[in-house]
Amino acid sequence: MTTFAVRGPEPISAEEVSQDSLYEQTAEDYGPSLDRLARAYELDPEARRDLLQEIHLQLWRSFAYFDQRCSLRTWVYRVAHNVATGHVIRQRRIRDRLVSIENIETVPASDQVEFAVGQTEALERLSALIQRLKPLDRQIIVSYLEGMDGNSMSEITGLSPANVSMKVHRIKNILRRAFQERTFEERRFEEGGHHAK
Amino acid sequence: MLNEFPMNELPANDPRSVWKNQTTEAFKMSADQLRRKAQQRQRKSRIEAVYTIIFGLMVFVFFARTFVRVHEVAPRMGLGLVSLWCINLAYQRSKRFWPGRRVPDAALDTTLQSYRSELEKRRDYARHVWRKAGLGFLFLGMATFVVPGLIKSLDAPRLLLLNFGPFFVLLAIWCAIFFPMMKRQQQKLQQEIEGLRAFERENRP
Repeated sequence: MTTFAVRGPEPISAEEVSQDSLYEQTAEDYGPSLDRLARAYELDPEARRDLLQEIHLQLWRSFAYFDQRCSLRTWVYRVAHNVATGHVIRQRRIRDRLVSIENIETVPASDQVEFAVGQTEALERLSALIQRLKPLDRQIIVSYLEGMDGNSMSEITGLSPANVSMKVHRIKNILRRAFQERTFEERRFEEGGHHAK
Repeated sequence: MLNEFPMNELPANDPRSVWKNQTTEAFKMSADQLRRKAQQRQRKSRIEAVYTIIFGLMVFVFFARTFVRVHEVAPRMGLGLVSLWCINLAYQRSKRFWPGRRVPDAALDTTLQSYRSELEKRRDYARHVWRKAGLGFLFLGMATFVVPGLIKSLDAPRLLLLNFGPFFVLLAIWCAIFFPMMKRQQQKLQQEIEGLRAFERENRP
């Protein structure tokens, strides 16, 4: 059972209990998603852990104000994305280099990572792509990768459903291309290996 | 539309499957830890704010002491203005560190609104840097302090160069870098804000 030693003899109010239980439910249900979300905003493991901690802290604080005006999922993702976006905006050098999903093709090829061969490399490639995007596009791509539908994305981001679907369409094309390149390269590699035998 | 098939049925090379199958850390804090963390954070912010105020006051005291020692009117006025500027700067900076109550906004705003307002804050600072950083006070104070000495040294050009040359060179370099940088930053932010506003307009019922 949780003890609230920090508060000393003060009684814990019903709101605080509900705040705690909401947080516990969220950590249980969305823990892995929040971890992946933090990965989309910060590659460095140390900094990522700090960011994740910050997200959890802000979520817990925010539950004191949760009035069910939107679903818990929307609330959780809004807070998490807003905290993570703040983290990106504060890093000016990084912020200045970010591109929108519409301009992602114009990024020089030399910036791109090597063609991926396995799951880990594929993930690195995907993360590298996400890290180049501006916060709003990053929110959309992360939501898409998490398997959300267009309406949920629209509710979280505040973009119109038409805009969301346009962006998702663009993201799908970029990802398809990136992953087709991978399979093509893999195939070529495998074929080469086969012929060598 | 987006969920064409459930996650567990996605092909192995599908980006969504790659994303969802990454190893994640089991991260969870107890309510007790969270309370302690929140209190620590608040304490840290207050300490940072207090340090900033102390630093500002120390610089203020330095200029105020010089103010007392100088007897000519114009340099005294200059030093007075610079001292006031130190206090203003300490106040502005400590405001930034003082723990605020941003959470309800952060949660109620859509990510688009929240992102735009963060950018707007930065744009406004870049746009009103003269007012926000109290640069007018600082420059006026410096000018009032330096100009009488400068006029006096006009008869001895070598002395003028030695006394004021390095100061003006550094000031010119700083101005040449700082103001265009602020201008560029402001323009970039403005462009992005306009893009976000267009998205918001489209979503208005």
